[in-house]
Order: sequence, then C-alpha cells, then structure tokens
Amino acid sequence: MTDRRETWLLLIPGLALLVLGFVLPIGRMLVLSVQDANGYSLEHFVRFFQDSYYPLVLWRTVYLSAVITFFCLLIGFPLTYIMAHSTPRVRLWLIIMVILPLMTSVVVRTFGWMVLLNRSGLLSTALRDLGLGGRSFQLMHTEAAIVLGMVQVLLPFMVLSLLGVLLRHDPRLEEAARTMGCSFLQTIRTVVLPLALPGIVAGSILVFTLSASSFVTPSLLGGARLEVLAGSIYKNVTQTLDWNFAAAQAVILFAGIALLLIPYLRLGARGHG
Amino acid sequence: MTLTARFALTVAACAIAAPALAQEITINSFGGSYEEAHRKCVIDPFTAETGVKVNIVTAYSADAFAQLRAQKDAPQYDVIHFSGGQEIVAAAEGLIVPVTEEQVPELANLYDFAKAGVAKGEGPAYQIAAVGLVYAADKVPSEPTKWADLLKPEYAEHLVLTNITNGYGMIGLLMLNQIAGGTLDNIQPGLDTVSKLLDAGAVVVNTSPEIQAEFVQNDAWIAPYASDYAYTLRKAGLHVKFVQGEEGTPASFITANLVAGRNNVELATKFINKELSPEAQACFSEELRYTPTNSKTVLSDEVAADVVYGADAAKGLMRFDPTIIEANRSAWTEAFAKTIAR
Repeated sequence: MTDRRETWLLLIPGLALLVLGFVLPIGRMLVLSVQDANGYSLEHFVRFFQDSYYPLVLWRTVYLSAVITFFCLLIGFPLTYIMAHSTPRVRLWLIIMVILPLMTSVVVRTFGWMVLLNRSGLLSTALRDLGLGGRSFQLMHTEAAIVLGMVQVLLPFMVLSLLGVLLRHDPRLEEAARTMGCSFLQTIRTVVLPLALPGIVAGSILVFTLSASSFVTPSLLGGARLEVLAGSIYKNVTQTLDWNFAAAQAVILFAGIALLLIPYLRLGARGHG
Repeated sequence: MTLTARFALTVAACAIAAPALAQEITINSFGGSYEEAHRKCVIDPFTAETGVKVNIVTAYSADAFAQLRAQKDAPQYDVIHFSGGQEIVAAAEGLIVPVTEEQVPELANLYDFAKAGVAKGEGPAYQIAAVGLVYAADKVPSEPTKWADLLKPEYAEHLVLTNITNGYGMIGLLMLNQIAGGTLDNIQPGLDTVSKLLDAGAVVVNTSPEIQAEFVQNDAWIAPYASDYAYTLRKAGLHVKFVQGEEGTPASFITANLVAGRNNVELATKFINKELSPEAQACFSEELRYTPTNSKTVLSDEVAADVVYGADAAKGLMRFDPTIIEANRSAWTEAFAKTIAR
C-alpha cells in the first residue's frame, strides 16, 4: 500500500508536466483543427488534400526525415561501434567531439553551412571546378543541403542512443563469435546488430521525429521553394495567423509520424523479446 | 485550459514575482541595426529625459501582431510597432486604441497621409519605407530605371525576389502584378510573372539577411526592395544603389500604436510623441535612410538624396490598401507558396 502511494508521489511531477505541457496543448490543437468560423468542420483537412501542394510538402517532410535518419545511422553506427571498443579516455574525447555541435546555436551552425554551400562557397565551387555543376550551380536551396545540415545536427542523438546499448554488451559475445569462425562482418550482422536493435530503434525514432518537426535548418538551407510541413505550420501560425489550418497540419504531421512509428516500435519490442 | 487562461496565469505569476514598477514600458522593435537606431534615436533619449525604462522585445510585425492577438486579455506591450499594415486589423479588433493631439502634440506636424487612420485607432506612421529597385551598381550591365526592367533577360540569373511573408516582398509582388496588368482583385498576372522569372533563374529568399547573402556570395545584382535596405547593404561594403521605379513608388508605413488595456497610457503616448518628433525622425533618416513623416524634419543634403524627402516628393508615394492585403494575406501567401514550390 505504502509502496503504491510512494510510486504515485514520485510519478506526480512527471505526470503533471506531461498533462500541462503535452496532453492539454495537444487536446487544444485537436479541437482547433476541426473548428471553423461557424463551429466544427473538416474543411481544413479538405483544404490540405484539395490539390497536390500540401500532400507533396508532407511527402517531402517524411521522405527527407527518412533519408536523414538513414544517413545518421550509416555514419553513427560505425562511429559508435569504434567508441564502444575504445578505451574510456578515447571514448570520452569522441563523445565530446560528437556532442560539441549541440553546444552551438542551431542558427549559427546553419549559417556556417550556408557559407559553405552557396554559389561562391567552398563545396559548390569545388564541384563546379570538377565540372560537376553548371555556371550558376550551388548546393544551397537543395534537398541535399537540408540533409547535410540536419545530419550534422542530429547525429549526436543517434550516437548517444546507440552508445548506451552497445556499451552494455558483454564483449566476450563478439570474441566468441569470432572464435567460432565468424568473419568481422558476420559478427556485426549476427551478433552486434541484433543486440543493438533497441538502440537503433530508439535513435532512429529520435532522429526521425526531430527532423520531421524542425523548420529552422530546412527553411534556411532549403530556401523558400522547398517547403517542409513544420515550416508551413510556422508560417500559418506567425504570418497568416491561420491557426486552425496550422493545427490541422500539425495533426496530420502527428498522425503521419505516429503511423510510421508504430510498426517501428513493434520491431524494437521484438528485439527486446 | 484555454490559451487566454494560460496567458492570464503567466501574467499573474509575473505580477507576484515583480511588484508594480510603473516607470517602465514595453515595446517591440525589429532587431539588428533597426533596433540599434531605435535605441539611439528614440529609446535612449526618452529614458534620459523621463527616467522611464523601456523594455524591448524583438518581434517583426507579423509575429508581434500574433502575440498581441494572443495576449488580448492580458496585453504585454504598451507601444507596438508595425510595418505591414497590421494596425488596421488591430484597430478594427480593438487591440489598439486612438491617440489624440493632447496626448501626442507632434501629430499636428505630421503629413496628412501619416495620420489618416488615427481617429479609427490606427497609430500614426513615424517612418515610411519606400520600395523600389535595389541594385549592385558595379555589376549591372545597365542601370535599371523602371519596374519593368526586372524582366530583362540580362538580369535573369541575378535577380532576387522576396517571399510575400515579408512585408516588402508583398509590396514587390503587388507592384510586379500591377505592371503585368493585374489588380488587387486579381494577382494572377503577378504570380505568372514570378513563375516566369523563376524559370529564367531568379532566386526567392524568405528574409532580408538572405538578400545580403545573395548579393555578397551568390552574385545577385538586383532585387525589388526598400530604400533603407539599400543603405544597409552599402554600409556592409557593397556598391549598391536604390532607384524609385518610374511606374511608382509603393511604400510601407511603419506605425507606432497604443495598445489597449494597459495602465501606462501617459508614458506610452509620450514615447509615441518622441518617435514623431523632428529630432528622432532626422536621426532615423540619418541612421537608416527612412523617409520622415514629420513636416518639420530637417535633413542634410546627403541624407535627403537617399530618401523621399519633402511634401511634394512624399505625395508621389503610393500605398497598396493594407485592408485588402490583410483580407487576402492568407490566400495570397498560399498561392505564392504554390507558385514557387519546386
């Protein structure tokens, strides 16, 4: 009995924060999304799907988030694997290196990319000099620029999620696999990857949701012509003051992410079981 | 809990934390060099004269208006500044209230166009930003003189347009629309022009700092934008000039508005009066090259050459009806986004 009461007491701060900071605003958002001048209606959702513009924005958001997640994983997994196998001293330095970008403002980091990617920037000039782009070729205002900028911002989330999981493994499992005749890659595939699955799932979900909901980096690097859903929502809230439509877009983004994540979470659960 | 209730709670919490310090007012400014000039020309002298502390919140017009609307039941600003005509809607919604000549004596010296809406509650214009052609004088093959020059093929890959979520961007589009034969009832000709320009290689940006980046780093030559920004670019070391298009000079009015429901009216109106004073306006023109609205303002020749100065010149300015812009903003913004989407 006392145990249960203590459990509840410990839960209260977290629960209160969740209700005040998440459940209530989300509820309010749901209500706003189905309200119009005359009461309740689905007109905002109809507007979203009436032509191909908003569905394309949604598709770009989901597809870019998936690409960003993929690259974070591609870069993050080997890096984390090395980190897990290095000495605590080296690991500490590597962790600091990975976290360092998080300590500068996202706007500053993004402006750095802008300098590198625009028409007279280092990367665009190099690609032009190699004959890979036309006279006015630039990387700014392309989807590639968004992916580059976002991968840098989000890599730490992937690495930290993976590191916790990889460090918990008994290194002797890998040694056993190697002595039983597995090659390095086989060990990775049959031992390390399955064991790291919960970390991969957690990191991917973090990176995916963060990139689907970010708008500063995409709007600065992607420019006005490559809209993502979070940017469109921001515009509707602050510039056209169309809060109901903004809420409807937020609900669609929320539902879209949830739909994609449920199967992924199942995968993670199987990994545990 | 509703949004307003939440704001009320926040306000209550603040009230407990900081017991009434009546000798301060809260305003918005637009950040960067504008805010610096605002401080130098108005805020610091005002504080020096009255001992009143001025809290500055950096918020562009649209953001500031969104905040004002959200804070309807517990406003946080005393004086709010708009550059996109938001005062018309704000006045209609009762978010801001009229100022009188007793409260703001300088109103008597303003040009008529700057105080046309004051009786309705719209704040007086303390500055005017004229929109024309901003161009890199050292790069263009020939100097532009009219809006139609923007369509010249020689500029095609060096033209920068601004999204209409930006106030000057909106004015630029409406002017392109006008020369293409459109009206405020039909902006399709303008949108078609934008499409054509983009296909030819023009770039669209969202904010003014990006225009600077385009000029510095991306070999941009020309942009339809405001005279003050041409000066900003010149100060940044670029050889940039501003010219009024022959077809007309659409302008954006920057207004100072008294927020409803605050108990600081006397200080707030004093602050507005300071903004309208000839000294403050001359200082603003000197710093940023905005056009003054007080007929008593005296400018040096150098400054006068860069702005629209004097009663006669000011008569040539035109203003696209902000009520029509406001009524269509949402639809136009969406139409523009669809036009430029790749």
